[in-house]
Amino acid sequence: MKPYIQLTLAQLRLFGRNRQVLFWTLFFPVVFIFMLGTFMGNGSGGAVEGYWIDEDGSERSAQVLAALEEQKAVLKLEQAKDREAALEELRHGTKQVLIIIPAGFGDTVEAAVTGQHSGVSDSPAGSLTVYYDQTQASKSMSALNAAAQAADEVSKAVVEYSPVVAVEPVGVQSLNLTFLDFIVPGIVAMMIMSNNLNGVAGQIASWRERGILRRMQSTPLRPSTFIAAQITARLLMNGSQALIVLLLGIFVFGAQMNGSWLLLLGFVLLGTLAFMAIGFIIAGLARTPESAGPIAGFVSFPLLFLGGIFFPVSDMPAFMQPIVKAIPITHLSTGLRQVMNVGAGIGEVWVEALVLGGWLAAAFIAASLVFKWE
Amino acid sequence: METAQKTERQHPVGGSEAEAIIEVRGLTKRYGGDTVVKGIDFDVKRGEIFGLLGPNGAGKTTTMEMIEGLRRPDDGYARVAGYDTRSQLAKVKEVIGVQLQATSLFDLLTVREITRMYASFYNTPTVPIEPLLESMILGDKLNGRVKHLSGGQKQRLAIALAIVHSPQVVFLDEPTTGLDPQARRTLWDIVLRLRDEGKTIVLSTHYMDEARILADRICLMDQGKIVALDTPANLISSLASESAIEFRLPAGDHAAGADHPSAERLAERLETIDGVRRIEFRKESWVLYTDALQRSLTGLIAFAEQEGLALTDLQTRTATLEDVFIQMTGRSLREE
Repeated sequence: MKPYIQLTLAQLRLFGRNRQVLFWTLFFPVVFIFMLGTFMGNGSGGAVEGYWIDEDGSERSAQVLAALEEQKAVLKLEQAKDREAALEELRHGTKQVLIIIPAGFGDTVEAAVTGQHSGVSDSPAGSLTVYYDQTQASKSMSALNAAAQAADEVSKAVVEYSPVVAVEPVGVQSLNLTFLDFIVPGIVAMMIMSNNLNGVAGQIASWRERGILRRMQSTPLRPSTFIAAQITARLLMNGSQALIVLLLGIFVFGAQMNGSWLLLLGFVLLGTLAFMAIGFIIAGLARTPESAGPIAGFVSFPLLFLGGIFFPVSDMPAFMQPIVKAIPITHLSTGLRQVMNVGAGIGEVWVEALVLGGWLAAAFIAASLVFKWE
Repeated sequence: METAQKTERQHPVGGSEAEAIIEVRGLTKRYGGDTVVKGIDFDVKRGEIFGLLGPNGAGKTTTMEMIEGLRRPDDGYARVAGYDTRSQLAKVKEVIGVQLQATSLFDLLTVREITRMYASFYNTPTVPIEPLLESMILGDKLNGRVKHLSGGQKQRLAIALAIVHSPQVVFLDEPTTGLDPQARRTLWDIVLRLRDEGKTIVLSTHYMDEARILADRICLMDQGKIVALDTPANLISSLASESAIEFRLPAGDHAAGADHPSAERLAERLETIDGVRRIEFRKESWVLYTDALQRSLTGLIAFAEQEGLALTDLQTRTATLEDVFIQMTGRSLREE
């Protein structure tokens, strides 16, 4: 018991006194959350900003403007002072859309109305010009849809059409989730992975290289005591770091926490242990501390992109799905996210917990097989 | 017991009656196709400082690490205090203390913390930490971090960690390499004190002065084999020539080297000088080994006068372990 306590204490002291590492392991994820949460998920909810120009000034064009005004939830339009200046803003991305009602619009529509009554034409006559930014695909799509709907409304009014079939929208997602809510569990999962996997691999390999492990090997200290102390210290240290970032994410940045704290903590611990075990495997396989870093990077880098940290795993192409479902990071990020966002209980996330537990068991067996003092 | 050892410092191990605490028989280690330790045998007697002296790559560290149980011998065995290093390793670890050649310690821990940690690794009772560190002249560094220690202080801490459980045998692998002269002397005093306290010390070094000053017996190693094993005094007297005369000759016929035909003739004639036992030419210097320094010197000067040779850098000295090593192996200790 004594060597276990002493080694755990020593490791905690090493952590606590390495201010630089301590700072960056906390600072980096917080900055990530701040940047991604603030700049990508700001509350405008996909509203598109833009200008309109009425070159026609007729009764019909006023009708179109009124219809566009009704779409203001998605389409925030102001009158443009100058066409060229408006297009310039569009190119710079500060505005996403410019809608022009061309001169003669009203006359064309009137002519069309007459034509339609006589049944001569069946193609729309009046047209709106919509300039949009193709580089902002989703915003452009909402802008075009909103404009089309406004145009549709005017058309219906003109021909005195009354719809026989209507769509009644009912939202099923009762939670209003922002990108911040998505990214906080992702960042915490990433932090757990990199602190443990890279941390263990790098440190053990470097201790081996510097002869620290050999020196311990010349004493009666058992490897199991050494590993147990490592696990305890890292669980305390990396677990509380992940918890700090979670708390900051929830209480400072305002990410939602809808589930059980106990379950969330359970996932943090399970993830910490699983990635620590993988780190021990890498430390065992790496021949030099110089190679441990790149190997750990080689393992963790793809996991970063495949594991649902920055984008939902459902966005991954179908052929990647088997890989995505097999890797541990996916289950850690999904577990954390389900608990935080949706408030999932153990009944809904037991698969994630089980897969992580499986990784943990397999990795520890493998780690104990490949571990060596020298 | 202690006083007896102190008075016997020059010849502390009085012949065969002293008990062997380490027994090494046929010890062999291979790495790939290379045999780095080639079936060596020796005993280390209780209470002596046993010096392993040899150039880098002689197999000193590998030999020590096999006795410490850190490396498995491919053949042969080593016993420490009667325990086999392979089958009774746990017992061996309790009775030995180890300072490894390239150990680094945790830089961010304090001297006291790291000592307490190492003490916790042992099941046997350990010594009180503060007096131990004070005896290693680290009393004022107890709460200082390891990274702020000097090279000498770090080595003394490494020795403190090696003896925290009062082991019977202490292994010191090149403990003074890279230290300044002052720090080396301090360390030598500590090593001698440990021996006087009754510990057996196995010390490896590639410094012949260190081996001569510290070791009661020296095991001279080269290329994985033992070339000689005796007290420093016996090793030197085995040269049968107490002194060496060194000199250079100005660039010319005779200075061209031992393989030069005229140099060979010169060597033959130098050998006829009174008292000269052996001649070496190395690093542009001629070395005459003699058991009659004054006569040989007079003879050399007369010879130089007669031949019109201008001797430079002429010096005489007593023969050293370096000379022993050269005689045994034909190579210098310092050659890599």
